[in-house]
Amino acid sequence: MKGYHDIVGDGGSRILEQVAEQRTRITDGLAGVRHLVAVGSGKGGVGKSTLTLHLAGALRARGLRIAILDADFNGPSQARMAGVQGALFVPGSHKVALPRTRNGIAVFSMGSLIPESKALEFESAAHGESHTWRATKEFALLGEILGSFEWGALDLLMFDLPPGAERTVQYADFLGPRTSFLLVTIPSEVARGVVARSVAALSKGPNRLLGYVENMSGYYCRDCNAIKPLFVSPEPFDAAHGGPSGLGIPCLGTVPFDPELARHCDQGFPLADLPDTPVGRALEHVAQQLLESLDSTTEPPR
Amino acid sequence: MKFLCVPCDSPMKLQTVGPPEGGSLSVVYSCPACGYEMAMLTNAYETQVVQSLGVRIGPESGVGASSTESASTSGTGCPFTAMIPTEGEARPGQAGEPIPVRWTAAAEARLANIPAFVRPMARTGIERFARERGALEVDEQILDAARDFFGM
Repeated sequence: MKGYHDIVGDGGSRILEQVAEQRTRITDGLAGVRHLVAVGSGKGGVGKSTLTLHLAGALRARGLRIAILDADFNGPSQARMAGVQGALFVPGSHKVALPRTRNGIAVFSMGSLIPESKALEFESAAHGESHTWRATKEFALLGEILGSFEWGALDLLMFDLPPGAERTVQYADFLGPRTSFLLVTIPSEVARGVVARSVAALSKGPNRLLGYVENMSGYYCRDCNAIKPLFVSPEPFDAAHGGPSGLGIPCLGTVPFDPELARHCDQGFPLADLPDTPVGRALEHVAQQLLESLDSTTEPPR
Repeated sequence: MKFLCVPCDSPMKLQTVGPPEGGSLSVVYSCPACGYEMAMLTNAYETQVVQSLGVRIGPESGVGASSTESASTSGTGCPFTAMIPTEGEARPGQAGEPIPVRWTAAAEARLANIPAFVRPMARTGIERFARERGALEVDEQILDAARDFFGM
């Protein structure tokens, strides 16, 4: 009797071929993108989305062509922060044009499609059993977005990833080895511990780990124009100068928290509209380090 | 998944996919050698797992091929149940009945090319863009004008 591998094709359903076609459509759609960078962490609430948007702004200010894909479908925040909540989606000849921020960053975010008062839900034949299929559906959606929107010629496409160390690895698997990872942590042992797990998990795969950024590294007090401590870590380290982080990947910089910047994010103002501050300069430094890391052919030390 | 006719040792061919009913698909295979037919009846989990891959199920050719997309309970082809605005629905906060806007066949074709989950919002937004410019028909020029206007 014949076995599975003795039979060519699948009798006509073409499911495997369709999945392969989806992958080809994604590859073709991203052919004009020079760098794919996923901004992840593993830990939630460390400022991945804010950092993604502001790094994109800093890179855009250098004249680079940038797009952001808010891959956090269940908790999208880029639409609000980038000011594209009510964006118009216009069909092109074959694909959909992307909304842009005032400073010209193309942004896809589920927040442009679904109001914040509603949760993302998918129609399902298996009611109440979403744990069995939901992740598959979300990655199929990601594939459809990558294959259906006009990414065009870009210097960087930045993926704003959802939290979860295991999710970070799933995205690495889905996006493939072309995608490099930038991880975000904050100066807390808990956050560093979770990010260390992400580093360990990602290190098993082929994706490049560009380094990490320590976000919320103190806060910027406008009254005294100084950076003050925000977290009291039991084992402080000087990440900016390559101190022991335990993460084993390069630190691309530290970014203080700025309450004014947070307020601007809520209102959708780009970084370019803000006056020169230590936070802006820190983001500029990270942007420079990121570009140098991307252009380097040397694998960062682990 | 592949099906083998054991007596003939011959791979079976997909014939039809029946309309989804209660989350179940009826997928009929037949043996090209002996003509024996069998049906695979999926449970809701199996149906959903295949749907989640974003693929269509149906014979490679043939009239009346069904697809997982058509299994949508809303009938709109939209995979989301929480989305704004739904097809033909006014945007939140928009008062009154909007003036109807026609779509040319070419503009409809461009709209049909884009993912189902973006289509309702694109349609509503483009129609609003057209109305704001005094146009009661969306053609390719309106679509291109919208792209230019929004710097896309």
